Amino acid sequence: MLAIEAKNLRRTYSSRTGFLRPRRTVTEAVRGVSFEVARGELFGLLGPNGAGKSTTIKMLNTLLLPTSGTARVLGHDVASDPVAVRRRIGYVFGGDRGLYDRLSALDNLRYFAELYGVEPRDQRRRIAELLDLVGLTGREKERVEGYSRGMRQRLHIARGLLHKPDVLFLDEPSIGVDPVAARDLRRTVADLRTGGTTVLLTTHYMAEADELCDRIAVIAGGTIQALGTPDRLKSRVQERDILEIEAYGAADEHLDRIRELPGVRGVAAEERGSRQAVMVQTERGADLHSRVLAALDGIRIGRVVTREPTLEDAYIAIVEESESGADRGPGAAAADRSEEVVA
Amino acid sequence: MTTMTTVPRILRLTVVGVRTHVSYMSRSPLEITFAVLVPLVYATLAVYLFRAADDPDRLLTAAVGAGLMGIWSSVLFGSGGAVQNQRWLGTLETLVSSPTPLPLVLLPITLATAVIGTYAMGATVIWGTVLFDVPLDFAHPVLFLVAVPVCVLSLGMMGLLLAATFVLLRNANALANPLDAPVWLLSGMLVPITVLPDWTRPVSWALPTTWGSRAVHAATSGGPSAGEVLAPMAVALALGLFYALIAVLVLGRVERRARAAATLSLA
Amino acid sequence: MSFLSLSRALTRRVVRTLRLVVVGGAISYRALFNWTTPPMFIGTLLVSPLLQLLFFVFLGRQLRVADDRFYLLGNAVVSASTACVYGGTMAVANERRYGTLGAVLLSPRHRAPLWFGRALPYVLNGLLISVFTLTVATLLLGLRIPVGALPGLAAVLLAASAGCSVFGLALGALGLRFRDVFLVSNVAASVLLLLTGANVPRETLPEWMRAVGDVLPLTHAAEAARELSAGGGLDRGRLGAELATGAGYAVLAVVLLAVFERGSRRRATLDLM
Repeated sequence: MLAIEAKNLRRTYSSRTGFLRPRRTVTEAVRGVSFEVARGELFGLLGPNGAGKSTTIKMLNTLLLPTSGTARVLGHDVASDPVAVRRRIGYVFGGDRGLYDRLSALDNLRYFAELYGVEPRDQRRRIAELLDLVGLTGREKERVEGYSRGMRQRLHIARGLLHKPDVLFLDEPSIGVDPVAARDLRRTVADLRTGGTTVLLTTHYMAEADELCDRIAVIAGGTIQALGTPDRLKSRVQERDILEIEAYGAADEHLDRIRELPGVRGVAAEERGSRQAVMVQTERGADLHSRVLAALDGIRIGRVVTREPTLEDAYIAIVEESESGADRGPGAAAADRSEEVVA
Repeated sequence: MTTMTTVPRILRLTVVGVRTHVSYMSRSPLEITFAVLVPLVYATLAVYLFRAADDPDRLLTAAVGAGLMGIWSSVLFGSGGAVQNQRWLGTLETLVSSPTPLPLVLLPITLATAVIGTYAMGATVIWGTVLFDVPLDFAHPVLFLVAVPVCVLSLGMMGLLLAATFVLLRNANALANPLDAPVWLLSGMLVPITVLPDWTRPVSWALPTTWGSRAVHAATSGGPSAGEVLAPMAVALALGLFYALIAVLVLGRVERRARAAATLSLA
Repeated sequence: MSFLSLSRALTRRVVRTLRLVVVGGAISYRALFNWTTPPMFIGTLLVSPLLQLLFFVFLGRQLRVADDRFYLLGNAVVSASTACVYGGTMAVANERRYGTLGAVLLSPRHRAPLWFGRALPYVLNGLLISVFTLTVATLLLGLRIPVGALPGLAAVLLAASAGCSVFGLALGALGLRFRDVFLVSNVAASVLLLLTGANVPRETLPEWMRAVGDVLPLTHAAEAARELSAGGGLDRGRLGAELATGAGYAVLAVVLLAVFERGSRRRATLDLM
């Protein structure tokens, strides 16, 4: 039996604004997503903000009803049999909300153990086990309001594992967590997988996905743009070289100028403090070094390196292709399809 | 796994849930002010009014009445806002995605808001005794100590219906604020319902708060018969249970609608 | 500089200040007042005080402490307090909640027009509520108010809601310094019910409570309004007392705002939630 089976999942949101003359806005967040996750697999869902990752996860964990399409978790239909699904899944999301911060970690866990149906005689042992697993033993009697982000995140994970779920949904668990805590988190997730738990993970961090995931689906604009093992995804950009340039003040016009150079397959810029990292994907062997620098004429340039593509480059290539294919930005993708209806 | 719905499990869940939420609310200065300071102001007001009316025998009634008003306010704002509060805390999704049925998740929360209301009762009675020398001459001291928890239980169950209907209403807050005083009035918490126009009587009878107040007041200053306390107590419990059952039906709809309309998170 | 350009510069300054008061006030009202949606406005600000009035009227009837007129006028005056006290508090304290307080305090403009501009919408709001409560309750309970008393009543209600708004602003100033300022305004709003004599005849209260009531907003207005409605004419002394109380709170608000603003730079309390 498959752990997760999604078929043509679609989800629209409608929102109402205005009191006297209400307007209804309909937005398509997920537009036909299908994938399967085998038991024991660690499956990654990657994509830009607003791509539909969280919506997909919330349809699978029964918090949202699909507008159309079906999904099964361990054979149970998520729309019609939510309680059966909830018994077998855990759900952990990132950020520092979602805990009773005026209570201790122990009180939080005791309460959720009750809600998640952990047998009373097993509760004490299970909670101790989990506190140990997430490294909070000794601090469990402190109020959560004094916890760091990383500690809260670990407590969230302990909470999600109380009832030994067979399938764990991790929605951007590493958001806002410092690098050391993020590393511990990755180790915990990897251990869970080794222990046989199926994990569906969404994340923004490519290195995290590369290190952990058996397979990855890249989702943008509400549809899956690519699906495969990290190596398979990387092979899509194998025939390319990456030119990474440290720049100070590169604007969209500069990037457009580079994009137009023959042999350039994609350009992306990432803010890194006061500087930017401009990543240019070129065809292998097309030595565009000097022409790219010429396109950036007039702005200060730092270090320039040529390197092998990483998963991040593959991800950027996939997202950029989906954007140019749909001829719109992924962020705007959901919004500009929306229609206004006066209700 | 049928263990989720057996009676001992439900009782245990309720006890753990009430304990969790009572201790959570007790640690918030805002909740405590609502629960204690405002009722004290009302108690003071009531005591001076009863004194001015040359009704010194009923000062304890005034203090207890202010306490009852506090319990209702706590249930109204706490239970009415129960779902919204969990949404703000970010815990709503976790609660809903648990395998426990939603009514059993929410009932401990609404019961907890009623329990917090007893702070008001304690505060107003102590305040009256210490500051105004109100004699603690309860007609049935033991029954009083039974009637208050029964009233709390009944109001907590009614709170479940408030929690359920307030989620369905987009402007629940707008409804909660004006519902404070009329229920005080219609339930006879401070003023007997006999002073109200006759047409309001059926509304009063339908409110568990009316019967809860009647039981508590009878235990405070009623006649010698214990039946005066026990009978309204039974009605209060029955009505509370009735509203809780309606709430279960409403919540089924609420949950389905929330999953369809994506209203669980703070998005 | 010629006289003409001087007067032009002066006019410009006055216009700019007025803009800060009126436009700034109106925008901040929309941004910071939590109850501007129609259901909230109707439910919390209009229906709620009316029902509270009825509660006290029936309480009064049962206890025979005072007549309907006493409770009706007292509560009509006090009905403005929800909007004014909470509004004034929100006008300052919600800046902290939205994390915009730092940006506001960086403004080079004078503080007095900035803050009083914010209180202005609540004065009008409070007046509207009082008038509504008074009108509806009078019709419901079949009370007669002499037509000649109406201008005087309007003046009294305006003074009451103005005084109450600056009182709210002074409480809001505490929001620059303390986290849970809504606790204070919450308690203050219920204390007004007791000490202003809106719901309990002041002569039945102990001396010290009466003394506190004397320096609270609404107390003198409630008494003036009762006299007016009973055909007793406008007591200028009481109206003056209400205005003087309001002026006192205005000064207090300005002082507290200045002190806490300065203190906040020293203590770095601005962005603490």
